[in-house]
Amino acid sequence: MLALVIERLAVSFAGLSSPVLAIDHLTIAAGERIAITGGSGSGKSTFINIATGLEKATSGKVFWNGADIANLSESRRDRWRAEHVGLVMQDFHLFPGLSAVENVLLPARLARVADAALVARAHELLKIVGLSRPEQKIETMSRGEMQRVAIARALLRKPGVLVADEPTASLDADAGENVGRLLIDMADEAGSTLIVVSHDHRLIGRLDRRITLAAGRIAADSAVEGVAA
Amino acid sequence: MIRFILADLRRLWAGAVVVVLLVALAVALGVTVTLQERALRLGSARAADKFDLVIGAAGSETQLVLSSIFLQPSPLPLMSGEVLAKLSKDKRVTWVAPVGFGDSFAGYPLVGTTRALISSTVSGFSEGRMFDKEGEAVVGAAVKLPVGAEIKPMHGTAQIGGETHAGVVYHVAGRLQPTGTPWDRAILVPIQAVWHVHGLGHKEHDQEESGHTASTPAVVPAPLPAGHYHGDGHDHGPSPLLGNREVHTADNGHGHAHEASGSAPDAAHAAEDHDEHDHHGSIDADAAIDEDFTATAPGLPAVLVKPKTIADAYKLRQEYRSGNTLAVFPGEVLTNLYATMGDAKLVLSAVAAGSQGLVAAALVLVTVTHIGQRRRQIGALRAFGAPRLSVFAIVWLELFLLVAIGIGLGFLIGLVAAQMIAEVFTTQSGIVLPVGFAREDIRSALLLLGASAMLASVPALLAYRQSPAAALRA
Repeated sequence: MLALVIERLAVSFAGLSSPVLAIDHLTIAAGERIAITGGSGSGKSTFINIATGLEKATSGKVFWNGADIANLSESRRDRWRAEHVGLVMQDFHLFPGLSAVENVLLPARLARVADAALVARAHELLKIVGLSRPEQKIETMSRGEMQRVAIARALLRKPGVLVADEPTASLDADAGENVGRLLIDMADEAGSTLIVVSHDHRLIGRLDRRITLAAGRIAADSAVEGVAA
Repeated sequence: MIRFILADLRRLWAGAVVVVLLVALAVALGVTVTLQERALRLGSARAADKFDLVIGAAGSETQLVLSSIFLQPSPLPLMSGEVLAKLSKDKRVTWVAPVGFGDSFAGYPLVGTTRALISSTVSGFSEGRMFDKEGEAVVGAAVKLPVGAEIKPMHGTAQIGGETHAGVVYHVAGRLQPTGTPWDRAILVPIQAVWHVHGLGHKEHDQEESGHTASTPAVVPAPLPAGHYHGDGHDHGPSPLLGNREVHTADNGHGHAHEASGSAPDAAHAAEDHDEHDHHGSIDADAAIDEDFTATAPGLPAVLVKPKTIADAYKLRQEYRSGNTLAVFPGEVLTNLYATMGDAKLVLSAVAAGSQGLVAAALVLVTVTHIGQRRRQIGALRAFGAPRLSVFAIVWLELFLLVAIGIGLGFLIGLVAAQMIAEVFTTQSGIVLPVGFAREDIRSALLLLGASAMLASVPALLAYRQSPAAALRA
């Protein structure tokens, strides 16, 4: 379980006058379930990229359990992310030609950490997300099934934080409902801090806290009313 | 990782196949040129290595070798028969044999020569026996004529509209074992028969050794294709056939009785006889073969000489290099030819290298574009925790695998192509071309693999350097 502290963060891109993201101070407690909302261009994606170490902050500090990932080299951020972050994305980013379980194991295999225990866990996770055929080729699955494979992949290495970027946006209502519930249950079960970027009100309604971004700044930060609605 | 690469290649199999074929063809081009040139060099050297020294009339060295060793039909100037007689008696000579050409049958060149030459240069007969009458012939291994077949020689070749010699028939007495040289495609007949067919050298027994030249070049019918001998490079003792008088003791009953070389001369008669018979000769099929050459032997395009020692070879070459004769070591002439061939090979190799370069450039273009299209996939791999080096390895291995398969396939195609060309060449010329890989091919294969390893690292490096966040945004 990881806690996030952000201090005097600024992210600017060359050619843009104002920073795309500027956060003076933000704390997310370990095990918290956060929703990030905001319009397009509000800095949501940048926030995710910075928090997961996909992008380097121009200035400021990003502490996860006290360790500043903003100072790490690209390779070390990659390694840190592989160990501590589970990512679920709108477009799944599953790899055609591979089976469900191969997709779940791919990043671990590429990082050469996939041992027998991890393989067993991959099969178990697929069972938990409700997929009974781990050898099924990914391109033959429905979108809802694909996102469940992606969730299993994100949780494989028991990440301290689970980050989901619009996990339900490309799914129909039923599948979205299903995926949203799975995310929360499984983050709970793995003991992961959960950060979800979403516009899906039903999903947001199930989370603890909602941070709204606008023009790269935190516009609102409040507890979600009607928790577990 | 391998499974991921294979899944990726399976998905893009059409493109992968094109890449492999493109590489294979470009590589095959270079391999074929290299193999073919080497085979041609080795094959022709082997064809020539049984012939230590060739002596002909003054003229082109290359033509002398091409005609006598490789049996290329072309007119050679004639030299006096005296040369042959002199060499027969030379103590530095193991054997000497005349070659006479000009006729052909069914596309095979007829070569007049001696039993000494045949027995010294061919390992033996696969069928039948040596000729021992004027009307008998021995065929090379690749001549498709059965023992006992009739051969009606044609003057020149069918392609240049030669005429069949009326009334001249040889019978195949034997078939030689293969030598891998143009002589496998030749029909070998007694030299005296060739002379007689062309109206030369009749009644040698009437001529005295001293000072009679039986014919001059002008008398001899024009195109005299080259003849060629199989020398085996070993020193042989003096041939029992040379200077052996026993073989021609029999009276053939046609007034051509042969006697030992000292028979009474009748110079006037001989000269007359030659004029009459010019171009209207016929052979006496049952005449015994006289291989004891006197100075009155007719003019010859070439004689092949087996010197006793290397020193003798150089001395003989020196001696017969002046005046009207030309003496060459075939190997030396071939070396000059190879230099020319080397230039041609250089051009072809440059063309092959150019095509390989083009393919390499095309591949870089294709893969860089391909990496562009795969940016999101690569970004995702990184985002989900694949190390950068894995991403590099995936992209590198994927391209390198394709190119390496292409190179392997290219070497195979090149080998098969070179073998096919060599087969056609052997059928046409009789020269067996030894097509095969050599140590230096391993080096060029490694060089190609090294180059493709560097080539593959271009897109791999691009993928390595790509920011995952930017890639995912794309």
